[in-house]
Amino acid sequence: MADATVPARFEDGLAELEALVRRLEQGELPLEESLAAFERGMALVKALGERLAEIEQRVEVLLRTEAGKLVAQPLGDED
Amino acid sequence: MTGRVALPGTAPRVLTVTQLVERLRAALDTPFPAAVWVAGELSNVRRAASGHLYFTLKDDESQLAAVMFRSTAQLLPFRPADGLEVLVAARPGLYAPRGALQLYVEAMEPRGQGALRLAFEQLKARLAAEGLFAAERKRPLPRFPATVGIVTALGGAAVHDLRTVLRRRWPAARVLVRPVRVQGDGAAAEIAAAIADLNRVPGVEVLIVGRGGGSLEDLWAFNEEAVARAIADSRVPVVSAVGHEVDFTIADFVADVRAPTPTAAAALVVPDRTEVAATVARAAEALRTGLRRRLAVARERLARLERGLGDPRRRVRDLGLRIDDLAARARTALARRADWDRRELARLGERLGRASPAARLGHAEVRVAQARERLERALRVRVAQARGTLGAREAALGALSPLACLARGYAIVRRGGPTGAVVRDAAVLAAGEPLAVIFARGRARARVEATERDDG
Repeated sequence: MADATVPARFEDGLAELEALVRRLEQGELPLEESLAAFERGMALVKALGERLAEIEQRVEVLLRTEAGKLVAQPLGDED
Repeated sequence: MTGRVALPGTAPRVLTVTQLVERLRAALDTPFPAAVWVAGELSNVRRAASGHLYFTLKDDESQLAAVMFRSTAQLLPFRPADGLEVLVAARPGLYAPRGALQLYVEAMEPRGQGALRLAFEQLKARLAAEGLFAAERKRPLPRFPATVGIVTALGGAAVHDLRTVLRRRWPAARVLVRPVRVQGDGAAAEIAAAIADLNRVPGVEVLIVGRGGGSLEDLWAFNEEAVARAIADSRVPVVSAVGHEVDFTIADFVADVRAPTPTAAAALVVPDRTEVAATVARAAEALRTGLRRRLAVARERLARLERGLGDPRRRVRDLGLRIDDLAARARTALARRADWDRRELARLGERLGRASPAARLGHAEVRVAQARERLERALRVRVAQARGTLGAREAALGALSPLACLARGYAIVRRGGPTGAVVRDAAVLAAGEPLAVIFARGRARARVEATERDDG
């Protein structure tokens, strides 16, 4: 059963996916591992695809308070 | 009477030094009520601890000492240096403590080029000499930044362009804007501080520092040393995005990557969502192809092994056929031999009959009868012998056949199923293990109850 968790960073997920594809394409993996790599890869494909579809841009402004502390506040839409 | 000059009709008037200096000062004020522009070359430039700037202004034939007070000197964008041809706005005056004539300089411009242009060239040369523009200082941009820090003015075209492009290309990135004034007094200090601020925010992986287009004066903050230093000191890579396609700013030179416009900067710092989606889709296709290929390889190998392995039952059948063939050949050979013996006997009998002389017929008849009897006995013995040999050979052949063994009541025990390994040692078996027992006719499925070792 492939591990369904995807790395927090999109980059890491994509890197793992690319590595799996490379290993599978080399064709030297034992069959069981090929299957595991495939399942894991497809889980990554699904999760990365969903993440791409879901994400919304978060825009904030970094302001300095009177006390000199930096705080981030949501920045409203421009319209 | 000595030295004093007496003017007729007047008492000799004696001035103090100060009074004289005052008169000279007043005399200078009349022709120079305001500052005049003077062209000359700077030499002996030095900045005093007080911040005042002292130098000599000269041309080929003359020179004058000059001072520019701190309040005006510190506003000069460029650095006055020996050899620089300048225009100064100055009033000549007397410096009473030393009785020296000097120029009080109120403004200074380089000749032949603008002050800002000169300041730009000077700073650029200085920072380049320090190695701040070196290619090996340039850092690569992250591929998928979690947070993009932006230093620019809120409400400007730049922030709008940046937000639009970042949202369209890669909405996964958080955008953190540190608002600053991008022109006017203090803008450079604000920009520099903002760069440092964003460097302290965890997760910020790349910075965009910039503004929309403008004149050289509008963009000036991005040519100031404070901004250049802040960019050079930044922990995260900086993309400069000063909206001026043609000219470079100092910030452009120091930045890790220079983008001609804010829009271009946004496209540089984040990947395009559609391209990444296509990459993921390609990876999915490659995974499927890879697995299909891997399965085909496995299937092909399995088929090859299967062919090599063959069917054990077929080998038993082949052995049986061979035994039948041998037996048939043995029987034929024996029968042929018996036939030959019979024919030989008949031939001998004929020869005997023909050879028998009539005179010795009576005696001969007895001998013939005896001989025939002996011959017949010999033949019987020979046939019986032949039969015995055949039987022995058949039995010997039969003993070679595993089927014959099975016929004698032996059975073959295999592990698991009819094609499993043949069991020769009870020690390999475990209780409860399934077995196939193969008899001369048919087979049985069995299960191990217990195994025992032969004693001794």
